[in-house]
Amino acid sequence: MKTITNILLAVLLFTFAACDQQPNKLNIRSGIRSDTLGNNIVTRPVAYAFSALIGESIEIDEAILGRNDTGFLELNINGHNRSYNTKRFRYKIEWLDANGLMIQTKTSTWLPASATGKSSFSLKAVAPRVEAEDFRMDTKKWE
Amino acid sequence: MKTTTSVIITLAGLLIAGCGSSETVNIDVMNDEGKAVMGLDYRDFNQAASEMVQSMISSGALKKSGGGRYVMTTARVTNDTMQRIDTDQLTAKIEQELMNSGQVVMTAAVGGKGAPDEMIYEMRDIRDSATGDEFQQETLAGKRTLVAPELSTSGAIQQRNVRYDNNRQQVEYYFRLRVTDLTTGLVFWQNETIIGKRGSNKSVSW
Repeated sequence: MKTITNILLAVLLFTFAACDQQPNKLNIRSGIRSDTLGNNIVTRPVAYAFSALIGESIEIDEAILGRNDTGFLELNINGHNRSYNTKRFRYKIEWLDANGLMIQTKTSTWLPASATGKSSFSLKAVAPRVEAEDFRMDTKKWE
Repeated sequence: MKTTTSVIITLAGLLIAGCGSSETVNIDVMNDEGKAVMGLDYRDFNQAASEMVQSMISSGALKKSGGGRYVMTTARVTNDTMQRIDTDQLTAKIEQELMNSGQVVMTAAVGGKGAPDEMIYEMRDIRDSATGDEFQQETLAGKRTLVAPELSTSGAIQQRNVRYDNNRQQVEYYFRLRVTDLTTGLVFWQNETIIGKRGSNKSVSW
């Protein structure tokens, strides 16, 4: 009994270790790369189930704002999908002027985005007015 | 007992009436939660226009060397889909955003479908006719006053239907636009946005 408990604990430990892995520049997915102790045919279903159980999903790592050569504000968002499944969502970026007021523009509309499981993703947006000084971003489920 | 039965029948009747309701409602165009349709709807045009404008602006192709704004016209944007689409649904949004960006000014004197504003030429016809004498001459447009466009936007919206499986079809829409320098004929910018839909074979996309 004690042995079984130890094995289960070891499997869970490896699973947690696998969950913490951040997507790298070179993303060789499970099933293509060689299996490891923490990610193999035995631990993988446990890791998938655990990931779904704790509700792992999209996370934004950084939002880089800067002006391009033509003087327009450019926003680059880098994030990653913590879950094992592809996450599809929509996002809308609204541009704000120096007073924090929203600039009315046709480009501020819900746009589709998608990130495959355990991978990084990037979004890029350009303010269509030079008056833009800041932004706000909203997301919603892909209907 | 009779009362209970009546109440149940009434509630069931209301429920059925509610299910079959064909009440007209306004669409929340800012946050539309409605289902996707197989044909192109306003959300698809908004998405295509947004992506096109952002690509155009970030490319720097519209930055005029020496400052100032380019004079731009919209040439022909063809509708190669199975739907009756006025391509102005796309181009009007793009024109509006480009003008508001301060990088271009659109001309209504020439365009792919003729002059967007025919009054420009009607006023010139009046000027050259006997009716022109009725106007204060200094308020009539003179000859050689129109400004020729330097850039032109053209493109197409194309549709491709693919059988996905026995029950579903895939409809692919390709929005292609380019900006051409009318002096040299060189293409300054080009972009393609793909919108794909997959749905029942019973849905029609025209």
